[in-house]
Amino acid sequence: MIFQSYDEYKTAAFHPKVAIMGAGPAGITIARTLAAKGIPVVIFEAGSTEVTDESQDFYAGKTEGDPYFDLTVTRLRMLGGCSNHWAGWCRILDAHDFQPKAWVPDTGWPIGRSDLDPYVDRVRDILELPELKKNVPISDDIRWVQLIKSNAVRFGEKYQDEIAASTTIALVLNTYVTELLGDGHRVTGARIWSAGKDAGTFVADLYVPCTGGIENSRLLLWSNEQSNGGVVPHSEALGRYWMEHPQFKGGDAVISHEPSVEFDSSHEAFFSPSPEAMERLGILNFGIRFIETPYEGMKAIVANLACTAPSMAEWASEQLNQRLRCAAQLHLAWEQAPVASNRITLITERDAAGVPRIDLHWKKGDIERRTALEGMRLFGETCATANIGRVRIADWLRNGEDYPTDEELAGHHHMGGTRMGTDLSKSVVDADCKVHGMDNLYVGGSSVFATSGQCNPTTTIVALALRLGEHIGRKIAA
Amino acid sequence: MSWKSPPLSRRAFTQALAALFALPIVRRFGRTRAEDIVEVDGWIVKRSDLA
Repeated sequence: MIFQSYDEYKTAAFHPKVAIMGAGPAGITIARTLAAKGIPVVIFEAGSTEVTDESQDFYAGKTEGDPYFDLTVTRLRMLGGCSNHWAGWCRILDAHDFQPKAWVPDTGWPIGRSDLDPYVDRVRDILELPELKKNVPISDDIRWVQLIKSNAVRFGEKYQDEIAASTTIALVLNTYVTELLGDGHRVTGARIWSAGKDAGTFVADLYVPCTGGIENSRLLLWSNEQSNGGVVPHSEALGRYWMEHPQFKGGDAVISHEPSVEFDSSHEAFFSPSPEAMERLGILNFGIRFIETPYEGMKAIVANLACTAPSMAEWASEQLNQRLRCAAQLHLAWEQAPVASNRITLITERDAAGVPRIDLHWKKGDIERRTALEGMRLFGETCATANIGRVRIADWLRNGEDYPTDEELAGHHHMGGTRMGTDLSKSVVDADCKVHGMDNLYVGGSSVFATSGQCNPTTTIVALALRLGEHIGRKIAA
Repeated sequence: MSWKSPPLSRRAFTQALAALFALPIVRRFGRTRAEDIVEVDGWIVKRSDLA
């Protein structure tokens, strides 16, 4: 069932056990998992089926620290959420990403990759992925890894008809949960804002915010402030340990005549460090996207030249009447250390529904800088040794200059804020994604990430959502 | 002015590139971990590339 407004929904005699906030990949996956068990669930989606400026304005806020994206641009408040603008890159966090790194404080998850493995086939079905391949070591330090360029499933488009036909899922559009009410043990209701006004309180047995890696923190911070700690009783870490994947061009490469790795149809290959290399160098995980410029013969030579002598290459390009790039570009994306000072806080300015907007404080630290530089060196050494090619590290990186401001900056990957853990002072949810100290409040999405790894988060989000759906289903059945 | 493709493979080009790096004016060695690998002006190359 799909309702266009909360008023319309109220006319239906539907009594859900679970209320999900947010119809993105996490929310829709949890709802479908519960519905498959016959558990009635309602999804409150603040936006509609279209992106609008009016809806996006609810996401406006401040950023400070390192340059970051406009908060109304980096996410989408609509059915399907951020799946509507993701590029489709898929990979689940590696087993070592879940393990603590002794050289990086506050790392490690209370679950492991083996806890997500049972859901991989269903993740592949949802995201329409081929079989996942194992990593291929090309040296002791570097592994050739599979990062799948998928069809970029738009969850709204894919599941809209299924939800419309469902009798166990009610999707309510244009309905904004502004606040959860709680008594320090249970959430007792959700305050609804719809059609430009306060629409009262909604009650269910269980509540699952899935509003994204920024909004989950915002909703819980505001709810907790209003209820004097009644929603997140252990709130020291709430909004903190927020992470992104810094993304910059790390360098260029010339490619050997017969490289020892194969490129896919998009002329790209991906590389990451071994856990042993990370430990030896005291760095974080990273991914290097090796993008080959698909030229042959003389064009390839000029493209190679573009790496080393751009002005000469420009002249040669003119002679060839071609615009040529360097032979291969190395785009670097890497893990960010979880630090408490990277955080979301509420500010005095409010949105149209009266909910405080946020200030996102995000800054990259020394270890991120070192990871980028040592990562490129490590990759360059492997490329030379394995005769894949020769790597040149970008000037800004090797010269210790500021991060470029005209590049990607980051991946639009919003992680942390309600991170998973066992230490009540450094986490918000437990291994089952349940908020510490609360009986009926769970969190879905990348805000529960304890660490970020290096790969795009959507695949892991979906795996975690399937696992959470199964857990809630068992709890309700018990 | 006509331009005729020279018979130069990528490997040959890399060798030519290495010869360019052998010029003192552009040679700046950085630290590397593997003994047979050196960092020159940001390029990570084999020592043998510079021979």
